[in-house]
Amino acid sequence: MSLPIQAAGLRRSFGDLVAVDGVDLEVREGEIFGFLGPNGAGKSTTVRMLTTLLRPTGGWARVAGHDVVTDADLVRRSIGVALQDAAIDPLMTGNELLRLQATLHGIGRIEAKRRGAELLERVGLTAAGDRRVGGYSGGMRRRLDLALSLVHAPAVLFLDEPTTGLDPMSRIALWEEVRSLNAENGTTVLLTTQYLEEADQLAGRIAIIDRGRIVSEGTPQTLKAQVGAPTLVLRVDAGHRDEARAVLSGRFGTERPAPTPEAIAVGLDGGAGAVADVVRVLDELGAELEAMELHEPSLDDVFAEATGRRLEGAEEATTDGDDEGGTEPAAEGRRGRRRRGGTS
Amino acid sequence: MSGPGAVAVTTPAPGRATALVPATVAMGRRALLSIVRQPATWVPGLVFPLLIAAVNAASLSRTVDLPGFPPVDSFLQFLLPATLIQGVLFGGIVGGADIALDIQDGFFDRLMSSPVARPAILLGRLGGAMVLGVVQALFFIGVFTLFGARVEGGPVAVAVLVVVAVLLAVSIGGFAAGIGLRTGSQEAVQNFFPLVFVLLFISSAFFPTALMTGWFQWVAERNPLSWMMNAARDLVISDLAFDDVVRAVGIACGFAVVTVSFAAMQLRRRVRMP
Ligand SMILES: Nc1ncnc2c1ncn2[C@@H]1O[C@H](COP(=O)(O)OP(=O)(O)OP(=O)(O)O)[C@@H](O)[C@H]1O
Ligand SMILES: [Mg+2]
Repeated sequence: MSLPIQAAGLRRSFGDLVAVDGVDLEVREGEIFGFLGPNGAGKSTTVRMLTTLLRPTGGWARVAGHDVVTDADLVRRSIGVALQDAAIDPLMTGNELLRLQATLHGIGRIEAKRRGAELLERVGLTAAGDRRVGGYSGGMRRRLDLALSLVHAPAVLFLDEPTTGLDPMSRIALWEEVRSLNAENGTTVLLTTQYLEEADQLAGRIAIIDRGRIVSEGTPQTLKAQVGAPTLVLRVDAGHRDEARAVLSGRFGTERPAPTPEAIAVGLDGGAGAVADVVRVLDELGAELEAMELHEPSLDDVFAEATGRRLEGAEEATTDGDDEGGTEPAAEGRRGRRRRGGTS
Repeated sequence: MSGPGAVAVTTPAPGRATALVPATVAMGRRALLSIVRQPATWVPGLVFPLLIAAVNAASLSRTVDLPGFPPVDSFLQFLLPATLIQGVLFGGIVGGADIALDIQDGFFDRLMSSPVARPAILLGRLGGAMVLGVVQALFFIGVFTLFGARVEGGPVAVAVLVVVAVLLAVSIGGFAAGIGLRTGSQEAVQNFFPLVFVLLFISSAFFPTALMTGWFQWVAERNPLSWMMNAARDLVISDLAFDDVVRAVGIACGFAVVTVSFAAMQLRRRVRMP
């Protein structure tokens, strides 16, 4: 039995820009695979190649056992896709869209109707089913988008940033939906996200992508374990700061990048249990402890370890030149959504 | 294909494209919904041609007595085909602009990541345009009849005019869809609109070419829209003749073949994996 998603050396360049630079993937049947990376990392480009929308310029990929280029139509039959920036026709109602999508997948009328009603129920949109999508909230649209991608009971589901722009409540509701879908139907899910928490919460395995390359891969637990010890961040009075920094990093572990210059951050090799000893040592030094926090290793630490940069908050910090997002032309057209220019 | 607990879904056997007919019907329905729910895009196409006809009829009505003017009952009767064709040309742009919008905002990607038979994307739009064409034709013929401009050829001529209107709707729809597919820009489609307008005004739509002079006459006589216009006008102002029917339907078919081929070419280009 072949893997639901498999890729080797997958590459895509746009002119001189290499958006995806040799990605290897192996997603197993029935798992939720998280694709985590900052803006412009190449997540959407990878998804577009895996969903037959974009031709790889190097390497190969197979989805549901079919090559994404030579057997694109077979791939399309097996996948559900909720793209990051594919609008939903605002003039149509949820019901109409579901029926259209079903027909496009070759499902007959009666079946399409039944399936549409069932999916609306599932994503909690039954009451809104006969309203035009133009009047839906962002969260409702995402839920409808998810329902649309499920119309033909796909074996493999691609969700490109399904919760970006949603409020925390809607986000959690969507997570629940993806989880139960995966648990009940065994649907394999590849989900991209910029949110560490999302990957941590949902994904059984995670690949961290940065600048078109996978920099780290594994279960959230193993990735965090690779970073190892929890980080103790503390502040002492200015007079004892340097001394405390030297003594703590010498005795308890290695010094880590601290959030502010005044703070001291140490990877506690002895784990959380060493905190009492730290306090005692500071006491012996005569240092006055002003604040202290213990951070369990996070995926952000994994990202920082692999790339030397922090993931969260990186959106504003224009890591890679401002070639994304904000430079797009202003929203236009009646649908109020926008995407990269559609010219070929 | 699906795991335990999944709902059994009747998808067609792998390797076969989804059936073209149901997909075309579904896409056609969507095109129609888009028309019906955006009256602002086609109501002007009903109103403005009537206004232009009213202005022309008021100012030029005496010209029917000029030597060389075709034998008509009234100037209004002379204007009926022009108004009808003008309305259809206006309305046909909508579908092309909608295709471009689909490309612009990503709905097209939704279609491309599904196994839908690709021609359905174009055929559905053309189907929508055809329905609008029928409605427009009946509307204009109805209004003109109310104001006393008869179709001399009778019900058969009316039916032929409706067929011509549908073919012209497909022609302009194909042209607009081709531009939309090529550029993926709604603005680009709309920017072609004035071209249609100019072609219309340098034609025999509002005045017989025989009474024109100079370069204007030269161009108007060679403008395919004039041929269409004259053929449609013969259906209105003279008794039913088989030749006239063949000529009108033939010219409209010719337009449709050319523009739909153009659109099909652009569709093939657009659906290639980029
Ligand atoms: N059609 C295109 N033409 C040119 N460049 C592109 C195109 N699509 C993507 N890129 C570039 O490729 C890089 C990767 O983009 P991609 O959309 O895959 O990133 P992403 O990880 O999905 O980011 P985000 O989180 O912002 O969605 C970016 O630098 C982007 O500008
Ligand atoms: Mg993206």
